[in-house]
Amino acid sequence: MIYLDNSATTYPKPDCVIKSVKKSMKYFGANPGRSGYDMAVKTAEAIYSTRNSLKEFFNAKSIDNIIFTQNCTAAINMCIKGLAKKGGNFVCSSLEHNAVIRPLEKLKNDGVCDYKTAIVDVNNDEKTVTNFDTLIDEKTVAVVISAASNVFGFILPIKRISDLCKKRSVPLIVDAAQAAGIIPLDVKNLGIDYLCVAAHKGLYAPLGLGVLVINSDKIPDTIIEGGTGSNSLSPVQPDYLPDRFESGTMNTSSIIALNESLKEIRKIGLGAIYSHEYTLMKTLEDSLREMKNIRLYTSFCDSQRLVPVLSFNICDVPSELTALDLSRDDICVRAGYHCSYQAHKSFGTLETGTVRISPSLYTKKRDIYFTINCIYKLQNK
Amino acid sequence: MYSLAVGSVTTAMKGRDVLRKNGIDSNIQRYSGEKQIGCGYSILIKNDAERCIGILRTAGIKVLDVSVR
Repeated sequence: MIYLDNSATTYPKPDCVIKSVKKSMKYFGANPGRSGYDMAVKTAEAIYSTRNSLKEFFNAKSIDNIIFTQNCTAAINMCIKGLAKKGGNFVCSSLEHNAVIRPLEKLKNDGVCDYKTAIVDVNNDEKTVTNFDTLIDEKTVAVVISAASNVFGFILPIKRISDLCKKRSVPLIVDAAQAAGIIPLDVKNLGIDYLCVAAHKGLYAPLGLGVLVINSDKIPDTIIEGGTGSNSLSPVQPDYLPDRFESGTMNTSSIIALNESLKEIRKIGLGAIYSHEYTLMKTLEDSLREMKNIRLYTSFCDSQRLVPVLSFNICDVPSELTALDLSRDDICVRAGYHCSYQAHKSFGTLETGTVRISPSLYTKKRDIYFTINCIYKLQNK
Repeated sequence: MYSLAVGSVTTAMKGRDVLRKNGIDSNIQRYSGEKQIGCGYSILIKNDAERCIGILRTAGIKVLDVSVR
């Protein structure tokens, strides 16, 4: 099997992650932060250690500002709904995933907050920033952007948008589902107020885990309340981090495994991971460009602008059919709309969707060559 | 031995690390004191309670109860 659907979730996971999950089940089986016996404290220590690694990885201000969530979508919901104010508005980009659009649409339909969409000009950051600037007003609650498009890989000008947000005194929420573990995301240097992360994609942890990094003194309201193992005599949710946002039992084994995958990523280096995946996608793109029936939407000429994700189509063939054909050769790719109506609308691919190829650090050159050959045969049919 | 009670296990571990950076060894235990703080944890130190509380306070860590064991 050739797995090229790593934007959905990375596979395979590193051996250290698989071993860690097994070890957690055996030795860290207690509920952390709830009890004082040996295994409970050891489990809490392991969770704390992952928090510490994440703090370093994203340059968070404190270990308290690392919040474990169900997934990246939950983190985004917590920020958007927790910051929403009646009569306010959000500004998002035209490349957003439904993880952003649907909470915004829900708030709009409930009559709480409106939202506006700033067009991303993929060839001109200046224009993109101007588009955001034009839409931000005195009622803007926050700006929400993807660090990188999950369909086309385009990296948004995060620092320039964050500078604008600082200037306009508006917090910035960044959906880093496709970027964490691929490009450096230093919340302090980039000026990101709320960073939402999927642990199971570029960070190679098991599925069902997200992280919210809060880099702001403005703490969102809660959307989920419950037992935190702390301040139990109070019926009111704790106001301190991370407990405020961590109600209920955590995904302990995934959190502990995340610590191991972070060590692996740091050992290899973000630059090396990016370079490896970028080279593979450039090789793929160069070959596809020579095929007469292939439609491409981005170019890997400028490595600073794309994460290693490539979308294509074979003429007007529905993308799902192409993916089905590739699956017959045991090549796993994702087709359709990738939960991103907005991005497809922006790139004019609402008719067909796109076939998306996304490598990981474990993808081999020969996997890409084999895929190129299969696509070549398909587009000649 | 002094027990400095804090609100959660994360706070306790953070407190332990802050004290360690200041050259003070400590251990963590579930809070079992008399004050009804509602499921907290204790940072156990051998001495210098006042200094430790000051260090923790500076780091933004609120000590909810101090007891001698």
